[in-house]
Amino acid sequence: MSDFVQQCRTEWKRLGVPDSIAEEMAADLASDIREAQADGVSVEDLLGSSASDPRAFAAAWATERGIVPVPPGRANARRGRLALMAFTGVAATALIVAALLLATGEPKVALATSRGTPPPHLLGATASFVPPPSRVQASAAAPIEWMLLCLAILALGFSAWLWSRWSHPRTPTSPAQ
Amino acid sequence: MANESRHSQMLRGVLDICLLAVLDAGPAYGYEMTKRLREHGLASVGEGSIYPLLGRLERDGLVETYRAASNGGPPRKYYRPSSKGRRALAMGVSEWRAARDAIDAVLAPVKIEVA
Repeated sequence: MSDFVQQCRTEWKRLGVPDSIAEEMAADLASDIREAQADGVSVEDLLGSSASDPRAFAAAWATERGIVPVPPGRANARRGRLALMAFTGVAATALIVAALLLATGEPKVALATSRGTPPPHLLGATASFVPPPSRVQASAAAPIEWMLLCLAILALGFSAWLWSRWSHPRTPTSPAQ
Repeated sequence: MANESRHSQMLRGVLDICLLAVLDAGPAYGYEMTKRLREHGLASVGEGSIYPLLGRLERDGLVETYRAASNGGPPRKYYRPSSKGRRALAMGVSEWRAARDAIDAVLAPVKIEVA
């Protein structure tokens, strides 16, 4: 068995590929390499650039066959993408809700109450004082809606930045030859 | 270098269809497929190799496998397209031809001058 196949076997063992399947893949690969070499075809010609990285080749083969789970990096990337989609959806919804609240002019959440003094019989019991609805003022500034709008815009900007980083990942600088 | 990279990129998108096509001509094992591709001018399969791709085709149910003795050699794993694989091949060929025609139409007016 060639050194290349031996390294593949080591990697499959490390990844937890069942022995019977690893045996089968190794036997097929070894037979193919032997036949190719008899035809004058090198391992490089048979396997392309994979010939220089048996571990990556073995992992890719096992993963594509569905024998071992997707490598953590790819699984994390998928989860990250889903999380970013959810975050963008929540931010967009918040933006729409805030804009609608501001545009409709419906009674806003009260933040300021009347400055009037409570009735005399309630003086000294301010902890339980509840002003009547007619005295609750709708704030002209509607700060909660504006805050929500600002937060939603910030969140959307942040998610746009994340999406742009996702679409154009930084490529590593290649080492000098 | 740039040409090889483009060749690899183009091939990566259609290698599954090419494998299904050579298997449609008759069942084959790994190296036999490589030989058939080579006979058609695809001497190199680019950056990867056909083995992971065969694994994916098998996982997706596009090929069926069985073991049989090869010509004087040890038993080999043979691949052949399943009915789902034949449908995928037909669709892939149709998509490839549409893309090829569109690209040909774009590139047709280009006159190549060799200095």
